[in-house]
Amino acid sequence: MRLSKLSIAIVLAITIFLFSSGIGYAAETADPSMGLSPVAFFFVFVAICTVIGVVAVLGGVGGGVVFTPLMMGFTPIDSFIIRATGLVVAMAGSLIAARPFLRRGLANIKMLFFAAVPYTIFAVVGALLAGYIKATAGDFGEALIRLILGILVIFIAFLILFGGKKVEYPEVKKVDGFTQRLGLSMSYWEESMGKVVHYKVTRSPIGIFLFCGCGIVSGMFGVGAGWAMVPVFNLVMLAPLKVAAASSKVLIGIGDSAAVWPYMMRGGIIPLFAVACIIGVVIGTSIGARLMFRVKAQFIRWMIILVMIGAGVKLAIDGINKL
Amino acid sequence: MENMEKEKAPEVPVTGIIYGEIAYRVALLGILISIVGIVIYMISNGYLDRTCSLDQLWGGASVDTIWRECAGVKTPEGHWYLSLSMLSHGDAVAMLGIAVTSSAAVFGMWGGLVGMVRSKGGMYIAFALIVAIILTLAAAGLIVIQE
Repeated sequence: MRLSKLSIAIVLAITIFLFSSGIGYAAETADPSMGLSPVAFFFVFVAICTVIGVVAVLGGVGGGVVFTPLMMGFTPIDSFIIRATGLVVAMAGSLIAARPFLRRGLANIKMLFFAAVPYTIFAVVGALLAGYIKATAGDFGEALIRLILGILVIFIAFLILFGGKKVEYPEVKKVDGFTQRLGLSMSYWEESMGKVVHYKVTRSPIGIFLFCGCGIVSGMFGVGAGWAMVPVFNLVMLAPLKVAAASSKVLIGIGDSAAVWPYMMRGGIIPLFAVACIIGVVIGTSIGARLMFRVKAQFIRWMIILVMIGAGVKLAIDGINKL
Repeated sequence: MENMEKEKAPEVPVTGIIYGEIAYRVALLGILISIVGIVIYMISNGYLDRTCSLDQLWGGASVDTIWRECAGVKTPEGHWYLSLSMLSHGDAVAMLGIAVTSSAAVFGMWGGLVGMVRSKGGMYIAFALIVAIILTLAAAGLIVIQE
């Protein structure tokens, strides 16, 4: 108990310190490099992204969905670069985390390959659309991106807030013909119950449509779409919650890998910034995964919700002002 | 006896294991290359001047401005880091690492496709093939933003 309170206090203190000092520098100093050397900048961003990774895992969301709005809302870095980096961050975290889910059979490989088709295609479309808006719409496009992302982030925060509806083992009463033909039913070993869980899924045609939307949002705004894909798998297709979470984590790695290349081909990845963020988020997610079983995450969850609402409101106001 | 058999852990699809192993190892390799690259970049600078990059980045400059100001060139299109002369720069090595990480799913998906073919996955072979082709086209730079 003492350890968990201490951990929360440390995480909170570091978060507040790093962000307030970073934002303070940016706002007050005329020095464009914040008075930091490239080496110091690199380590500051490794630290910031480590905190983002820890807090995101404890809050039950991916690193990308916290990273992109925070960076866009509270740093002066160009949004195209942030979104490109956000995709790399979400993808790297997901690729590293995928292995145990697939080794244990928790991620349904058939459901993954099925969902990967619409998600990947539309993630690429989203990335191309982002580039097109940047190239043709100028400041208006930037304002529009900020406004839409702001509204989206506020929506995600409320989704986390009222997301208690998730069902651990949804009951599938009827499997539609299309899903039946796909043969998506599978089973996995549930460690906590010491038994095999056999499950069915349904409504895959609606799933296809929704995964298209997830892909567009992910590719265009540079956020992982786990917050949207878990409910699609769990509440629409009625997969067990653990299967939904594991499958969505693996799927982000596939879809975002496709979406990141158009950004990369337009020079949107600046190594000094991107490498710091990848290392930070990967370290942070690993620490977060270890802390998860020791820390009561409710407080962190509230903190994430507040931070995301704050970032969302800031982005929306920025967008409206620039319109 | 029958009950005990029911409680045995189900066989995990080999396709998933192949994808997961390849993606994990390649992603990790890419991250390691990035770290090596960034260390070189910090010690001996790079193609993009690092102080200039930081100034421009924090000044809110666009990609085009950063490339123009810090490397004196137009924003490169495609795999700018993939040449021997470029790979003598730390940032190009770091960029290569990021590209390798981004390729992890590409290799993983082709591996997954082979696994799916071996396990006679029916229509899932087609799904895996479609995704593998899209990922490969994107990674090859054939799906690009045209201005």
